[in-house]
Amino acid sequence: MSLYQQALPFFEWLESSGLGQAAKAYGGVYAMAQSFHLMSLALLGGTVLVTDLRLLGVVLRDVPSEAVADGAHRWFKLALVVVILSGTFMVAGVATKAYYNEFYWAKMIALLVGIAFVFAIKRPLLRTEHAKIRPWLLKLVALASTTVWFTVAACGRWIGFSG
Amino acid sequence: MYNWVETTHVLTLAVFLGMLFVIDLRMLGVCLTSVPASKLAARLDRPMMLGFAVMIITGVMLFYAAPIRTTQSVWFRIKVVLLIAAGINAMLFRRKMHGAVHSWDQDAVPPKPVRTAAALSLTLWAGVVITGRCIAYNWFDCGQEQSDLMNWAAGCLVDAAAQ
Repeated sequence: MSLYQQALPFFEWLESSGLGQAAKAYGGVYAMAQSFHLMSLALLGGTVLVTDLRLLGVVLRDVPSEAVADGAHRWFKLALVVVILSGTFMVAGVATKAYYNEFYWAKMIALLVGIAFVFAIKRPLLRTEHAKIRPWLLKLVALASTTVWFTVAACGRWIGFSG
Repeated sequence: MYNWVETTHVLTLAVFLGMLFVIDLRMLGVCLTSVPASKLAARLDRPMMLGFAVMIITGVMLFYAAPIRTTQSVWFRIKVVLLIAAGINAMLFRRKMHGAVHSWDQDAVPPKPVRTAAALSLTLWAGVVITGRCIAYNWFDCGQEQSDLMNWAAGCLVDAAAQ
């Protein structure tokens, strides 16, 4: 049995759980969760963009890039927590539908890649003095970061259009 | 086509609202406090307004896809009011900031009026996102049993429908 098939009972359980039932029953609460999901997406995207655009030398060139990256990362972490919490609530209400939606899986994979990229590559790298890092490497990291988070958001929006 | 416009509208949120969040959090004195407030606001202004322009254009397109239903949506009506309020707040803030910024520009935590304006801005934009998200729901659509107040607020043509 593939890993994908093994995941089905979990999604069925999630939908029938209290969380899934609550997400189904309270449309108003669901819309609020969606709104918070969107707002934390904006905050997450904003902090990623400010950092990446700084690393690319587009904005705030006269501010040390270390200050921008560190300051933005604190709010990135908060945004990530809210995105995941609100997203968990949202998926619980439509768990089996999400299970059969390929954009849901595309998004989850992109999200895991994004989280791994930030905490295993981007942050460890940016913690050192940026002047000592090769400029092309900084720019590559910035481009990769913007790309992966854009993919997460775009796939996320597309979940609602397909399936 | 609608999906692409909708996706652009939502993803640009990260550009416009993301930049706005970063600026407002700086004005609250909780993000990037080592960067002078006016510098951050000035440098992020261009990407923010770029995002704003795209949001307005795609937003108008979304409106024209279903003008009657949207006009008769309570949520859309509140959203427009909040948008205007946020615009007025931003204009007043800009005017005041340009006048007196040098007295507090380097402060980690700006004076109270600045923080109040930033908090108001965040609240109003949160309202815009929430009401915007709610437009998609049909809770208070015209043509269903609901109070006169609701019909009035949504601008439903109750009499015309009854004849």
